[in-house]
Amino acid sequence: MVVRQYQQELEYLERLSPYCWKIKKGFQPNMNVEGIFYVNQTLEKLMFEELKNACRPGMAGGFLPGVKQIANVAALPGIVGRSIGLPDVHSGYGFAIGNMAAFDMNNPESIVSPGGVGFDINCGVRLLRTSLMESDVLPIKEQLAQSLFDHIPVGVGSKGIIPMNAKDLEEALEMGMDWSLREGYIWAEDKEHCEEYGRMLNADPSKVSTRAKKRGLPQLGTLGAGNHYAEIQVVEEIFDKWAAGKMGIEEKGQVCVMIHSGSRGFGHQVATDALVQMEKAMKRDDIETNDRQLACARINSQEGQDYLKAMAAAANFAWVNRSSMTFLCRQAFAKQFGLAPDDLDMHVIYDVSHNIAKVEEHIVDGVPKTLLVHRKGSTRAFPPHHPLIPVDYQLTGQPVLIGGTMGTCSYVLTGTEQGMMETFGSTCHGAGRALSRAKSRRNLDYTDVLRKLESTGITIRVASPKLVMEEAPESYKNVTDVVDTCHAAGISKKCIKLRPIAVIKG
Amino acid sequence: MSHKRFLNTLDYPQADSVNLNDEKTFRSVIVWLEENRIKGAPQAVLAKLKDLDSKDWHQVYSKYKDDLGCPVLESKLEELQWILGYAVQIEHLKNKNVYIKHAVENLQKENAPNVIAENPLDNLDFRSQEFADGIKELANALNTVVHPDPLITLKAVRKVICQRLAPDCVENPDKYVVKGTPFPYQDSDLGFDLKDPVLNQAAKILRMIYIQDLRNLQTKANELIVAVQSVTANPKTDTKLGKVGF
Repeated sequence: MVVRQYQQELEYLERLSPYCWKIKKGFQPNMNVEGIFYVNQTLEKLMFEELKNACRPGMAGGFLPGVKQIANVAALPGIVGRSIGLPDVHSGYGFAIGNMAAFDMNNPESIVSPGGVGFDINCGVRLLRTSLMESDVLPIKEQLAQSLFDHIPVGVGSKGIIPMNAKDLEEALEMGMDWSLREGYIWAEDKEHCEEYGRMLNADPSKVSTRAKKRGLPQLGTLGAGNHYAEIQVVEEIFDKWAAGKMGIEEKGQVCVMIHSGSRGFGHQVATDALVQMEKAMKRDDIETNDRQLACARINSQEGQDYLKAMAAAANFAWVNRSSMTFLCRQAFAKQFGLAPDDLDMHVIYDVSHNIAKVEEHIVDGVPKTLLVHRKGSTRAFPPHHPLIPVDYQLTGQPVLIGGTMGTCSYVLTGTEQGMMETFGSTCHGAGRALSRAKSRRNLDYTDVLRKLESTGITIRVASPKLVMEEAPESYKNVTDVVDTCHAAGISKKCIKLRPIAVIKG
Repeated sequence: MSHKRFLNTLDYPQADSVNLNDEKTFRSVIVWLEENRIKGAPQAVLAKLKDLDSKDWHQVYSKYKDDLGCPVLESKLEELQWILGYAVQIEHLKNKNVYIKHAVENLQKENAPNVIAENPLDNLDFRSQEFADGIKELANALNTVVHPDPLITLKAVRKVICQRLAPDCVENPDKYVVKGTPFPYQDSDLGFDLKDPVLNQAAKILRMIYIQDLRNLQTKANELIVAVQSVTANPKTDTKLGKVGF
């Protein structure tokens, strides 16, 4: 790799608008397309600082800076359009988190890369609304949080309370949310308000290793650790009254429940297994990448197809997981309020996936093309009238759920036509890390973090308090900066702002 | 073998034991079909076909099948299949009335009790001024827009009556009258521009109607799922299994 001074590196970056920068070809070797990233002034500083630090002598090792990773992805075979960094972009394994890239399905050279999906396959966010107001919940907030905590096991090594055997798991992997429907854990309307209707049809459980299934079986219906959480939130601000109305959000103070979780150990094992296979495939097919972590295989190769089928099974696992937690949340609320979940109007507003690869139709340079769209730490944000979004949102555009960090706010955005054209209908996914986990542990004290949350009136139930500083707001970028950038750049539109009043997490 | 079924249908003698791969049998089957069922070729052609051992037989046959309109096919057996189908079709057309009597709908009709012998509506003159005026009056009474064609107005009126004036609907209007919040569709993005405000307005209305259709379809799908759930659903939880991690 070329070693350049920071000033020399800057020559490859060009500002296109106040919210977006271009990464020119040559920034990294063999770039097939240009890169682009969206930032505002605050986020821009973080991006450039990261690059500057990496240019200092002796800074080799660890993840490459986000900009470099975006450029390395632009060098992958078969990529079309641009390699896109969303405002919450930060370094990850191979692909930066907050990086989306699309590959032409009709180009035999095109690749699929597990690094472009992430280890937590189909990690995503689901938002339930209720007919309750903040004043209904505040008096029993503690009990409600405890009840949620009792229903939804959290943390590393947690086990779910929905009994499942190996056969159930096989069926769930193939059927996704249809399994949850069949077993009666969720409502018919839930499926309607979920990306892909909660089921990837190409899932093939036989392509998943026994090890992954063994890890996954006890974990269904558990939240997991890391940045995953379930929050009771209240509507703090409504930016788009009509769109919010379509989602059943009528006024400030209305109570919602947000679930942020993924495919747990199952998805992680699927990704790990695939990486081993892909390294072999790369050698065989002579695929060269700038970074070893960008292990990939041709979409049409055996390895590529196997991965897509296993990934789809992991995606289905994640949907069943979020569905099981939806069921448990409804139970917890119903118990506390002595009302049936339907009377509490606990409908799913939407369910998004922000770690996934999907086959989609897009217009590239005026020509319709079938693409394999990788979204890692990036959320699909389709515009109004798109055939793949639910009928209820045909006029508003797809709801995009942006989970904030523990204790900060979350947002609901809607997809736009401009996003469809500029970013293949993709937008940000959350706050995005600013400090690494290790750095957060070194710099912050967990008691301070917990005290701070309490002082803001947020009830918290956490399985591993000693790791809570990894997820402290200080360790993340400001989600409002991230969302404002997406809104200002026009790639999605602000609709609702939510503020947490109770958090449960691993 | 469908060849044999067809031959049976056409009453070919010993259809079951026929060996169509045998060239001579093939030729005689063709002759039999033409002579007894298709009866389309001129006498001269038929005579040549009948000469089963002739060297030119193939040439004659080839012209014969082209004249029938047989498309270019891969093998002789496929051609025979086509000719058999053609013959069956001729037979079917000949006895159409017999077959129609046995069609499912007609059998159902026959079995249904015959109640109304005379429908007074049959005697209505849909084009008369009286009819048009009556429909207009009805539409006005129901607050329905009148279309120049009274039959179209009648269709609209029928919809209103079926959807809003059914006995159950009159008794429980809340169950049927959709309560929604208005949506400013005028301001919504159409997704394309026809460069003509009137056309754009029309396209937006079509969008709305389409969305309503989709909504109804989705609601039916949901109802179906719920119906299935009433048979399959059996959600279970077992708190003993739960384990909080670290």
